[in-house]
Amino acid sequence: MADPQTTRNPFTDAESQAVGVEIHDLSKRFGQVEVLKQISFSVAPGEIFVLMGPSGSGKSVLLKHIVALEKPTSGRVLVDGREAASEEIRETVRMALVFQAGALFNSMSVYDNLALYPREHRVTNEQGIREKVMRALQILSLENAHQKYPSELSGGMKKRVAIARALVMEPQLMLYDEPTSELDPVMSATISEIIATLKEQYHVTSIVVSHDRELALNIADRVGILMGGRLVFLGPPAELAQPKDPRVADFLNPRIDLQNPRFKQLET
Amino acid sequence: MRTLNRVLEGIGSTILLLLRSVAYLPTLPRQFGRFVEQCYLIGYTTLPIVAILSFFIGSVLALQSGYAAQNLGPKQFIGLLVGLTMARELGPVMVAVLLTGRVGSAIAAELASMKVYQEIDALETMNIPPARMLVMPRLAATLFMMPVLTIIADLVGWFGGAIIAKYTSFIAIEPASYFATMRQYMDFDDVLNGLIKAEVFGFVIVLVCCNIGLNTRGGPREIGAAVTRAVVASLILILVLDYFVTKALM
Amino acid sequence: MNNPQQAARVGLFFLLGVALTWVTFETLSGGKILKDDGYRLIAGFETLKELKVGDEVRMAGVKIGDVAHTRLAGRRAEAVLRIASSVKIKSDAHASIIMAGLIGSNYIGIDLGSANAPDLPPGAEIQTRSTPDLNSVMTQIGEMGKKLEAALGNLGGALSGDGQGGPGLLQKVDLLVTENRENLSKATANLQEITAKVNRGEGTLGRMINDPSLHDDLVASIAEIKAGATEAKTFLANAQSIVDEVKAGKGAIGALVFDQKAGDDLKASIANLRAVSDKIAQDEGTLGKLLSDDSILRDAQAIMKKADRALDGMDDTGPITAVGVIANGLF
Repeated sequence: MADPQTTRNPFTDAESQAVGVEIHDLSKRFGQVEVLKQISFSVAPGEIFVLMGPSGSGKSVLLKHIVALEKPTSGRVLVDGREAASEEIRETVRMALVFQAGALFNSMSVYDNLALYPREHRVTNEQGIREKVMRALQILSLENAHQKYPSELSGGMKKRVAIARALVMEPQLMLYDEPTSELDPVMSATISEIIATLKEQYHVTSIVVSHDRELALNIADRVGILMGGRLVFLGPPAELAQPKDPRVADFLNPRIDLQNPRFKQLET
Repeated sequence: MRTLNRVLEGIGSTILLLLRSVAYLPTLPRQFGRFVEQCYLIGYTTLPIVAILSFFIGSVLALQSGYAAQNLGPKQFIGLLVGLTMARELGPVMVAVLLTGRVGSAIAAELASMKVYQEIDALETMNIPPARMLVMPRLAATLFMMPVLTIIADLVGWFGGAIIAKYTSFIAIEPASYFATMRQYMDFDDVLNGLIKAEVFGFVIVLVCCNIGLNTRGGPREIGAAVTRAVVASLILILVLDYFVTKALM
Repeated sequence: MNNPQQAARVGLFFLLGVALTWVTFETLSGGKILKDDGYRLIAGFETLKELKVGDEVRMAGVKIGDVAHTRLAGRRAEAVLRIASSVKIKSDAHASIIMAGLIGSNYIGIDLGSANAPDLPPGAEIQTRSTPDLNSVMTQIGEMGKKLEAALGNLGGALSGDGQGGPGLLQKVDLLVTENRENLSKATANLQEITAKVNRGEGTLGRMINDPSLHDDLVASIAEIKAGATEAKTFLANAQSIVDEVKAGKGAIGALVFDQKAGDDLKASIANLRAVSDKIAQDEGTLGKLLSDDSILRDAQAIMKKADRALDGMDDTGPITAVGVIANGLF
C-alpha cells in the first residue's frame, strides 16, 4: 500500500528540517497525583523514538507537553532548543500530533479535515491544497473516503485520516499517540511502514507512543519505557532483547500464567 | 469559596477569550464563509421561533393591558404600551432568551464536544487558535444578526397586539388608533435602545457559551453539564445585564 | 462550507432587517416637526409643574417644537423651547402649561398673538400665563364642595327648623305668606268694594270713571297682586329655587330668608295694607273727601302709577322680591 514510488516527495514544496526535542527533569502533577516524575531524555532530529509503557503511565501526558497542550509543573521541554510552550515555536516549527482517537473535526468531511491546515495558513491556492490532500489520502489509501464524514468511518479509517491530516501539515516533528491500537495486524504493519518511510523520505523527527512491540522493535531508533511516571528504560531496541529490569521484561513478554494469575498475586 | 473561585475564573477566562477574539477580528474577511454559516444558524434559522413567540407576546400584552384598561378608559394607549414594552424590553429580552436556548446551547454543546473529543487540542497543535476559528465568526455573526431578529420581533409583536386589540370584544380598537398613539408618543430612540440591548445580550450570550464550551474538562458526560451551565449563566446574565443596560441607556 | 444559497439567504435576511429598521425609523420619526434644530425661546414660569424635557410645544393645537431644556433661574423656573424655524411667534403671544391628560402629560400651548405684532427673535423671552394645575384645581373643588355642603346644611337647618329653635325660616315665611294670603285677598276684596262704590258714586266719582286708564290700571294692579301672591306661594314652596337664588346672590331673597326683620316688615306692611283698605271701606266720608279733592285724586293717580311700577318690577326681579316691592312701593 505504501508504495515508495508514490510516497517519494509527495509534497513537492516540502523543505522539512527535522527538529530535536529535549526534556529536562520534567514533572507534572494533576492535583495530588504526580503523573510524571523528573523525566529527562532527548530525541535527535530525524530520529524515531518509541515511547512505551503500560496504560496510565503518563505517555500521552508527556506527548502533550511536547506540543504545549500541557504545561510542566517543573522542568523544561525544549523543541529545537526553545521552550515548547512559546509562541515562537508555534509559529516557526510545524508539529503534528496524531491523536489516539483521531480527533477529527466531526462537522467537516474528510477532505475538509485535511484541507483545514493549509487553508487556514494559506499555504497555497485551492488547487494546490487539493493536490496535497488527495496525495495524502492516496498514501493512506483513503481516496474514496474524502467526501465522508468522520462519523461514517471505522476506527482504523479514522486513525488513517488523522495520520493523513498530519501529513498534509508537512511537519518537522511528528507525534503519534497509539497509532496502531485498534487496527488489524496488516493495517498496523502499514502504519509502521508509513512512519518509517516518512522518516526516511522527509527526514522528519517522530515520537511514537505505543505499546505495539512489533512496531517498536522494527522501526524505532531508540526506545523509552515509562512506568509509574518514571523512565525505566532508554536505549536502542536491540537492548530490549535482554532487559535487566524485571518489570520491563514482564511488560515486553507477559506470560499468561493461569496457575498463578497476576490479580491473585496482587491480593496476597 | 470554591464556587466563588469558579465564578471568578469564569469571568476572567471570558474576558481573555473576548480580548483574543477581538484581536482576530481582522481575519474576518478570510473567514467569510464561516461568518455566513454562523449568520445562517444564528439569524435565519432562529427567525421562525422568534416570529411566533413575539407575535404571541405582543398579543398577550395587548390582551392583558386591554383587560386592565377596560374599566379605565384610555384603551387607545394599549398601542403605546405594547409598542414601548416590545421595543424597549420584551423584544430584546425575548430574542436573547431564544438565542440562549437555540444558539447558545448549541454552541456550548458543539464546543464542549470538540473539547472532549480533542478537536480543540488538534486545532491548537495545528496552530489554529479556537478563538479565531470558532469564537470570532460567531460573535461577529451575532452582532450582525441580533438587530435584525430584534426588529422583526418588535414589528411582529406590534402587529400581533394590533390584531388582538381589534378582534377582542372588550378591547375593540382600530389598528389606526392603536398605531396612532405609538407614532405619537414613541421615538425611534426607543427602538434603538432595544436594538442596543439586544446587541449586548447576544454578544455576551455567545461569548459566555463559547467560553463554557471551550473550558469543558473530562468525558462526554461533561458536554451535557456544560450546556446546562451555559444556559443558566446566559439566562442570569440576560436579566442582570438587562437591568444595568436599561439603566445605562436612560 | 461556503454555500452560495446559504449566503444568499443570509444576505436577504439582513436586507430585510435593514429595510424593517428603516421603515420603523421613518414611521416613528414621521411625526417629528423638527428636521433641523430650530430656534430657542425662553419661557419663565412660577412652576413648571409636570413639564419635562421633550414635551411638545403647540400653537393652536399644532405641534411646532418641544421643550429642549428646563432650569431654575433665580426665583422662577425657565423652560427653553425649541421651535421649528418655519414657525414665527408674535411678541404678544402667551405661553402656558397645559395638561394633555390626567396622568401628567403636559405641553406648552402658545396662542397665536395678534397678526400685526412683530415676531419674536431667537433667544427672546415669551410672555407666559400661569394656569392652575390639576392639583390646585382639585384642592379648590374639594374646598368648594366642603363649603357648599356646610352652606346647604345651614340653609337646610335654617329653612326647616332644628326642633329646638322653633320653626325654621322657610316655615316662618310659609306661615307668613299663608297668613297674608288671606289678608291680601281681603285687601283685594276691599279694593273691589271700593271700585264698586266708586261705580255707584257720582260727581267727582264720575270724573274718576271718565278716566278709564286709571280704572284699567287699578284692575290690572289687582290682578297682578293676585298673581304675585300666587307666584310667591309657589316659589316659597320650592326650596331648590331658593337655594339657586341664594347661590346667585340675590340680595332681596337673602335679606328675606335670613333677616327676621325683613319678614316682620313684610308682615307689618301687609297688615297695614289691610288696615288701610279696611279704613277706606269703612269710612264713606273720608273716601268722599278723598275723591272730591283734586289733589287727592292726583295723589291717588300717582299711587296707582307707583303700584304699577312696583308690579312691573315684580316681573323682573322675581315674586318674593315683588312682595317686598309691593309692600314698600304701595304704602
